[in-house]
Amino acid sequence: MWPFALLALVAIYELVAQAVISARVAPDADWASAATFVRGELAPTDLVIVAPAWADPILRRELGDRIPLAAAGRSDLAAYERVWELSIRGRRAAELEGARETMPPALERVFGAVTVRRFDLGASSVRLDLTSSLRDAEVRRGARTCAWRRSAPQGGGLGAGPLTPAEHFFCGPEPWLWVGETATEDLDLQGRHCVWQHPAGTEPIATTYRDVELPGRVVLYGGIYYLHERDEVHGPVDVRVLVDGAEVGRMRHRDGEGWKRMEATTREGRGDVTIEVTAPDPNMRTFCWSASLRGPAREVGE
Amino acid sequence: MRPRIGWLDHLLGALLCAGYVALLLGTSADLAMSRDESFYVTAAQDYARWMRQLWNDPDAALTTESIDAAWDYNHEHPGLAKALFALSWIAHENAKDGGSVGSAGSAADGRHGSAGSAADGAAAEGAGLFASDSDAFRFPGMLSAGLLLWLLYIFGARVFGREAGAFAAVAYALMPRPFYHAHLDCFDVPITLALTFAVYAYWRALTSRGWIVIAGLAWGLALAVKHNSWVLPGIFLIHYVWMVLAARARAKRDLPASARLVTRPWWLVSLAWLGPPIFLATWPWLWHPETMLERFGWYARFHVNHEYYTIAYLGRSWFEPPFPISYPFVLTAITVPLVTLAMAGVGIAMRARAMLPGFVRDRVWKNGDVEPDSPHTDVLLIGCLLAPILMIALPSTPIFGGTKHWFPAYPFLCMYAGLGIVRATNALRHGVGARLPASRWTSRVLVSALVIAPMLVQTVHSHPFGLSHYTPLAGGVPGAADLGMNRQFWGFTTGSLTEYFTEQMPNGGTVYLCDMTPGAWEMLHRDGLLPRNVRWSASMTNADFVMVHHEDHFLEVELQSWIAFGTTKPAHVLTYDGVPIITVYENPRRRR
Repeated sequence: MWPFALLALVAIYELVAQAVISARVAPDADWASAATFVRGELAPTDLVIVAPAWADPILRRELGDRIPLAAAGRSDLAAYERVWELSIRGRRAAELEGARETMPPALERVFGAVTVRRFDLGASSVRLDLTSSLRDAEVRRGARTCAWRRSAPQGGGLGAGPLTPAEHFFCGPEPWLWVGETATEDLDLQGRHCVWQHPAGTEPIATTYRDVELPGRVVLYGGIYYLHERDEVHGPVDVRVLVDGAEVGRMRHRDGEGWKRMEATTREGRGDVTIEVTAPDPNMRTFCWSASLRGPAREVGE
Repeated sequence: MRPRIGWLDHLLGALLCAGYVALLLGTSADLAMSRDESFYVTAAQDYARWMRQLWNDPDAALTTESIDAAWDYNHEHPGLAKALFALSWIAHENAKDGGSVGSAGSAADGRHGSAGSAADGAAAEGAGLFASDSDAFRFPGMLSAGLLLWLLYIFGARVFGREAGAFAAVAYALMPRPFYHAHLDCFDVPITLALTFAVYAYWRALTSRGWIVIAGLAWGLALAVKHNSWVLPGIFLIHYVWMVLAARARAKRDLPASARLVTRPWWLVSLAWLGPPIFLATWPWLWHPETMLERFGWYARFHVNHEYYTIAYLGRSWFEPPFPISYPFVLTAITVPLVTLAMAGVGIAMRARAMLPGFVRDRVWKNGDVEPDSPHTDVLLIGCLLAPILMIALPSTPIFGGTKHWFPAYPFLCMYAGLGIVRATNALRHGVGARLPASRWTSRVLVSALVIAPMLVQTVHSHPFGLSHYTPLAGGVPGAADLGMNRQFWGFTTGSLTEYFTEQMPNGGTVYLCDMTPGAWEMLHRDGLLPRNVRWSASMTNADFVMVHHEDHFLEVELQSWIAFGTTKPAHVLTYDGVPIITVYENPRRRR
């Protein structure tokens, strides 16, 4: 009888499992209800995320107008004081792992198949998001100032790399020598909100923020567009962070390191912050960085 | 005792074939053309133009210039399958305008994908032979799938009995991934048919001299369809050596030998004499003596050094060797209905003793009912089952094709599944015995229902997202997304968005296609599934809508959309079991 028993067992398993899989799919109405609730509670320093990550387009369909580029392409949670997690299938967001270990959710509500949890991380350490403030900076290629330019966005398509935004600094004549706020796909195929600052060789490309408040730390993430990093055949990219012309931190990014973090301490007060990028060989060094000026680190979410 | 196969068996095979082709034709419009299909449409139109020229002016058609003009495109694959697509399309066009093969106003003049070209493709007026131009190109592929069921029934019936053959055919028909591919004007199903037929012909040739010539012809046709057929003689050779050594061992022990067994390698002679000539004869691109070797060398090098495309597997995007050895095994496990796999396991277990070399069998499995037959059919079948999977498991073999590159293993898997199902039926009948009314038929009906229900439910559920489908063993589509599995490729899922784009752009507009080709988009126009004023855009930033077909590495297209349109909010998300398949962004310019 065992062949029949096996057949019956497997057949019933497949039929029941298929039915369960279909029944567990979160209906659009549940997403909409959860989103309506969260929308009503959202504060400007809140972040909304989803678990599992593959549901991100659905989250943004419901709340994308409240998820700006900086949030969607975040490098960490430091800029946010509260995080809303919309969860399906019992999944939990990996980036909230640290928060979950130290605190219970401040709020938990269930909307059918979608569970909403809120984690109150505390006051943000971020004083200035340099990535989003690029427009206020100056950019130089060596001694020459790069002009702020407005044109139609350029690029697009698989393998094309980050899109050139409508507004950017142009340091050419090489068409890739621009500095602008965009988004890149890093080595782990994660989207990163960042400033494209392709090196021009050993001649530095430098982005300077004049007379900004220095809360004591600079945190910078940087990486190379995945297609140009994954083969691990190209040379390094050097990044220096300077305050009033004096180096406070540096990072050498090598292929294979992905979205790499660097932290430097600065004096407090006000000053000029410069992010300088060079490369011994600039070929395919499609470098993009995300940085912020931060005060003392809080316990969770950094 | 193997049954004598007669015309009634072929009638049943023909019915299976016809029914499946009708099902495929009925469900084809749900599937937009995939990337590769659109390339083969272009090639088929080129070939059709040349065929018309050959009919009207053979001397002109056979010049080097004419042959190269028609056959140079997509010369990485041999000509037979695309020539069949071309013939099917010619028949369709001729039915439209009532013309003959050489009729004027050839629709085949259009080069797919070039501006306005598809209108040329639809130049002929009238209903045509098929419901759509896509169906015309796809029909030979669908017919291949139908013929494969027919062949599978006959092959299975000859080896394991009629019931096993019938179940084998049904099990193959109701595999979600092959069901998707069975719709397409691609090579994966035709080559599965061609290889299975070549194996069948070789197997018959071992006991029937009449099949020796057919074996060579069959292999030649397989060569003319796709390059994976080049390895088949190697599999045959291994089997043949096994069989001959076993026959010699029996002779040494004075055991009786089958008088019908053909132990001389006439099959090899047939393959060598007929295979390459058929390959050459069906591929005019190789007809020029002065370029034949150079071009064949290019063809061989292209496949030996094939480019690697990125594909997600277990949370990692693989783009270069070494590729994971587990890939074809895991993918088979989570895309083929478990009931098929389990029953194949039962069937293989039943025949396992016959798969062992005699000296091993005598030592480790001395007592058993199962003996190998004189051609050692089980060794052949298991070799044909394992060879395609093991080829893909090699760390150097590209894995970007998903499961389709080891489809030639599935007919043999299904034959053993058929045998396993028969065993389950018998087990029920003997186990319950007289307690079941009309136990023979009741057990058959009960087992059939138990077997077919999960296969059918999964196959129906997979349509029209065949490449995105995963079985419950993976947790279905959401479970596979959790596991980090590939969600799709080729951009065919766009077919599920035609209504959306039609509604959104009543006065026309443009769409950035992401993974879809302009040629595939054009087929939506030709098939009447999308208004002609809803056009494709080469520029993402100027398009009214941007599609993002979700594969992990396609994220960059989504990020580009955010920058181009200044928002992360999609206008629409196409989902399958709650998993995003295509996300659509709308150019804010449309709202101003």
